[in-house]
Amino acid sequence: DGVAILPAPQNLSVHSTNMKHLLMWSPVVVPGEIIHYFVEYQGEYESLYMSHIWIPSSWGSPTEDPECDITDDITATVPYNLRVRASLGSQTSAWSTLQHPFNRNSTILTPPVMEVTKDGFHLVIKLEDLGPQFEFLVAYWRREPGAKEHVKVVRSRGIPVHLETMEPGVPYCVKVQTLVKAIGRHSPFSQVECVRVQGETLPL
Amino acid sequence: GLKTLHLGSCVITTNLQEMRNGFSEIRDSVQAKDEIIDTRILRKTESLQDTKPTDQCCLLRHVLRLYLDRVFKNFKTPDHRILRKTSSLANSFLTVKKELRLCHAHMTCPCGEEATEKYSQILSHFEELTPQAAAVKALGELDILLQWMEEM
Repeated sequence: DGVAILPAPQNLSVHSTNMKHLLMWSPVVVPGEIIHYFVEYQGEYESLYMSHIWIPSSWGSPTEDPECDITDDITATVPYNLRVRASLGSQTSAWSTLQHPFNRNSTILTPPVMEVTKDGFHLVIKLEDLGPQFEFLVAYWRREPGAKEHVKVVRSRGIPVHLETMEPGVPYCVKVQTLVKAIGRHSPFSQVECVRVQGETLPL
Repeated sequence: GLKTLHLGSCVITTNLQEMRNGFSEIRDSVQAKDEIIDTRILRKTESLQDTKPTDQCCLLRHVLRLYLDRVFKNFKTPDHRILRKTSSLANSFLTVKKELRLCHAHMTCPCGEEATEKYSQILSHFEELTPQAAAVKALGELDILLQWMEEM
């Protein structure tokens, strides 16, 4: 009856960076044929309270690619079970289940792309928009002996933010890290970037 | 961002906004399934706000357990979009319940007479209905529960 003739997808893994989660697997190959894949998930709630329940992924049921963006499915900080099967016409493979449940708190966090600019005497920073769950901790200071480091938490995404009014001739440096409160973690700091306003005197 | 809930001496953080966003996307669909409009399960008289602080944690813990044991479990829908949202809510509730369990383990979630009495009231409203109808109504009232939590 066409069940489980197709080989099940192998080598399932989740690649997660900055809260974007991609489930990947090795493709099932039948020469000259297009294979469709069906991805399903269950959170810890389902596995504890209704283990027979599996939920079709938002974007991976079906898909022709050996990968599925599960970001919209992983919406709580709990372990998720994930499984995939292949389908070709009436033929359907067995399910392959991710060996270890995936929890979004294991995502790799990287500093955002940062643009440090001068707007007249104003030190301005513009940060990459990584999504609503992200905040950024911006550290900035005057590059001179004994200078104090200032810190500002920025929530605006992709919009320039004024940090400081600069004194001419003094370099100002900036570094940034991402904060994701939903998982209680932060990224390493970015590279340091410095700018300086040429030595004009400040207007009266 | 995260919301800090002060429940007597039990303090937890939770992603209320994420839950609100998720529920708002299915509220109308779920509430439309509720055919019993002359009663309510979560009533003001049994709200968290009207409960003394020392009993708030216990009351919330019991209400969450009710939702996890008998609401999300008994709510059936063929609609995958709604299924995903209720799953998201259930797993978020599970996260909150784990935090409350920590408070319980640290003796900061005591059950006094008031919490016990109010929860039994809520349970009796719930059990006036069939399991299926109660699950639909309780899920439709999730915004009431989220509002209670918001005000903690």
